[in-house]
Amino acid sequence: MPMPIPPQLQIPVGATENGTITLDVAAGDHVHKYQKLAQLQMSAQGRTCIPVHAPTSGIVSAIEEAYVADHSQQKQVCIVLTTDGLDTPLPLEPPVDYKQLTCEELVTAIRRAGIVGMGGAGFPAADKIDAAAHQAVDLLIINAAECEPYISADEALIRERAEGVVTGAEILQRASSARRCVIAIESSKPDAIQALEQAIEAQSHISGSCELILVASKYPAGSEKQLIQSVSGIEIPSGQLPAQHGVLVHNVGSSYAVFQALAQGKPCISRITTLSGQALKTPKNFEALIGCSVEFLFDICGIDKSLSHKTVLGGSLMGLQLPSDNAAVGKTTNCLIAAGSAELAPSADIQACIRCGFCADACPVRLLPQQLLAFSKTANNSQLLKHGLMDCIECGACDYVCPSHIPLVSIYKDSKAAIEARQINHERSEVWQQRFQYHQYRIKKEKDRAPTRTKAVPAKKPVAESGEAGVSVSSNGDEQEFFSKEKASREIAAAVARVKARRAGSKTATSEQDKSK
Amino acid sequence: MSSMDTRAPFQHSGKNIAQLMQTLLLALLPGICASLWFFGYGILLNVLIAGFFALAAETAMLRLRGKNIALHLADRSALVCAALFAIGIPPGAPWWLVALGIIFAIVVAKHLYGGLGQNPFNPAMCGYAMLLLAFPLQMTSWHLPNEVVEGVLFVDNLGIPIAGAEQEILSPLSWRGFKQALLLSFPFAASSDFDIKAFTDGLAMATPLIEFKMAGHSALLAARDSGTSLFSRESETAWEVINIGYLCGGLLLLYKRIISWHIPLAIIATVLVVSVLFYAPGSVSIYGTPYLHLFGSATMIGAFFIATDPVSAATTRPGKIVYGIIIGLSIYSIRVWGSYLDSVAFAVLFGNFCAPALDQFCRPRIFGRGLSRAIKLVEASNESTKP
Ligand code: SF4
Ligand code: SF4
Repeated sequence: MPMPIPPQLQIPVGATENGTITLDVAAGDHVHKYQKLAQLQMSAQGRTCIPVHAPTSGIVSAIEEAYVADHSQQKQVCIVLTTDGLDTPLPLEPPVDYKQLTCEELVTAIRRAGIVGMGGAGFPAADKIDAAAHQAVDLLIINAAECEPYISADEALIRERAEGVVTGAEILQRASSARRCVIAIESSKPDAIQALEQAIEAQSHISGSCELILVASKYPAGSEKQLIQSVSGIEIPSGQLPAQHGVLVHNVGSSYAVFQALAQGKPCISRITTLSGQALKTPKNFEALIGCSVEFLFDICGIDKSLSHKTVLGGSLMGLQLPSDNAAVGKTTNCLIAAGSAELAPSADIQACIRCGFCADACPVRLLPQQLLAFSKTANNSQLLKHGLMDCIECGACDYVCPSHIPLVSIYKDSKAAIEARQINHERSEVWQQRFQYHQYRIKKEKDRAPTRTKAVPAKKPVAESGEAGVSVSSNGDEQEFFSKEKASREIAAAVARVKARRAGSKTATSEQDKSK
Repeated sequence: MSSMDTRAPFQHSGKNIAQLMQTLLLALLPGICASLWFFGYGILLNVLIAGFFALAAETAMLRLRGKNIALHLADRSALVCAALFAIGIPPGAPWWLVALGIIFAIVVAKHLYGGLGQNPFNPAMCGYAMLLLAFPLQMTSWHLPNEVVEGVLFVDNLGIPIAGAEQEILSPLSWRGFKQALLLSFPFAASSDFDIKAFTDGLAMATPLIEFKMAGHSALLAARDSGTSLFSRESETAWEVINIGYLCGGLLLLYKRIISWHIPLAIIATVLVVSVLFYAPGSVSIYGTPYLHLFGSATMIGAFFIATDPVSAATTRPGKIVYGIIIGLSIYSIRVWGSYLDSVAFAVLFGNFCAPALDQFCRPRIFGRGLSRAIKLVEASNESTKP
């Protein structure tokens, strides 16, 4: 699984929109493996920071913005490292005995290692624990249920490094002081199950209270809320986080990274990535260094360059087509597919919905995709919301079974975007309407005031002063109104800001829910 | 749609409408074969005539609407509509009756409402109901197995020379039966008035099966008790065997997951329960036995093939069950208290009326919504299991 060192790495730090980036190195610096290069301080939450470490030794040749092979679809600041092939590491701190550490110390260590949700969304693992810290965590689920077809990175990781995964799970359990720790895996993976059983057995005498739970391998078994339900029976209400119900879910990849960080003292510099697709001669799972290019990985797998291929990031159902193979692997790049010409091209002609309901039977959220489709066509937003469009996790199950080949997920994504845009516009227009109304109201007041004043105070005061006098005379009533109005519009502005913040937050949060495994 | 190709999901199960429709046609075969066996070629001719006009009407409408003809014809939905329509038409109905019905179904009930997927009412049943209202006589003149045979004998007795006619009991599948069916379907092809008159005289006139059999108990049981073969055309088991054929087809559809169990089960259960409730052993003649209601008429076709037409049915699971109950109740009440002999078409159309409302009001609970109680219960149980 370990890979040769590519000549150049492009290590993503983060997008500037997402927070403040602090660089510890500059172009021209020589760096060692494991050396901290930079960190992203997220603006929304004060404590969140994600450090990035050098996957190997070499010289920083540039710092630039580039696209990364992950779901963010934004340009991210990347540190370009020209490797020297020596792989000289920093002397690692001798690993501490994690059993002696307190919860806070564990969380800090996890944060310092730069571990994010390895399942896809990349929400910092330490923050996830923190978010649940103020309430009793009843259940920690290590998600080993692979979400989608094609992806086998988690399975490969478990088969080969089950002990690390189990230890990592135990550390996570300590860090979050969870009462129970469960590793959930699909029943269709006997090898991985066996490996886990052995690892749990081997470690049971040392500490662990880790259990293994098999879940039916019905897509999307690894989707967070669905997994929680199949493991514990708890159905997390729409719009709430599992942590609010005493449940935490971490991906096995994260669990292994935690093991590396605490038991071996290594920060997160690589991840297991599945390389698959018909255009590859030897598809396999790799421990890919963060920052190596997709092209480099495909080359190792013997890509057939004579054939055209399409590159898909992630699985075949929720993946994303990458525009080019130059992008670098990030911490969440779980799968890269080099699809041959006939592969992953559901091109059949789209027909009308026959309301067969196959989609509804497939939907894990129990939505009615056929109804959502009809309402999307007429842009009937209130019905869309009533029918739970916003609860759609975009898993693609409905799309997959639709005999009419309707691109349902694409349609829902568009509808969601339209609804969000409308809401923002609506809120904005309300603010402006309020301001305008206040403006008119003020003008009217001024006008009303003028004659009264001239009558009441005939010639004693010059006209120029009347404005002040007017204000002071009528200050009580008017200003109260003024302030209440002003307050209202300020409140609305604040509400808009909150909504925006929430949206930005919930994007990460919901995508975290969907993809974290 | 090329922009869609670059968006997830990239994979598809490979199901398509044409496959579904093909399986539907396949599932109709056992029932059609049974009808063929008992009623002769008439049913086959009906299916063929309806199929032909359905395709013609579909092509014409697709052309008028500027659609991709090859793509939409290939979905075979017109053929399914034709088959469902034709199996309800009495064998021996003239060709224009069949053509009129199916053209109405395809043109008015399907395409004028926007084509596949848009029609609020089941097209086949619209065509059928239209014929039933406009041509009640032709639509209820069923050959009954015995009469077919007697008809042929009657013709023989009229003196048309057939060697050893008196001894011979002619099968409706014989050459003569074929000729008879052809002439009935295409009266213009007859060489003389006499032919047609001879044949039509042999028709069983408007014998509603349900009344015909209400007095007796199951013909299947009777046939078995008396040692007659179930498939013998004199055993009066025709409708039962045909219904069993459709039941098998329906089970195939269930097995292939082309239909869900909700609608058929709801219909059959409702008909069963209601007919049991009203069944008084002393007065069989009014309400009929539950068995008769399930196997004596078109209940099975209705439950498995017609009410499950997805486009016009309720689409949510709870909705489907209510929809099935509504249709089951309608089938029974139209049959027993209504003035129409065949109730399935009207019952299904009535169900179609209710479907949109059912979809609105009978929705499954969305994952994670409306949970406050459930969550508390789970949490409470968790609490109690805590040490
Ligand atoms: S699976 Fe496709 S055709 Fe069937 S109801 Fe859903 S959207 Fe319509
Ligand atoms: S994409 Fe949305 S609507 Fe479709 S199956 Fe998944 S959750 Fe349901």
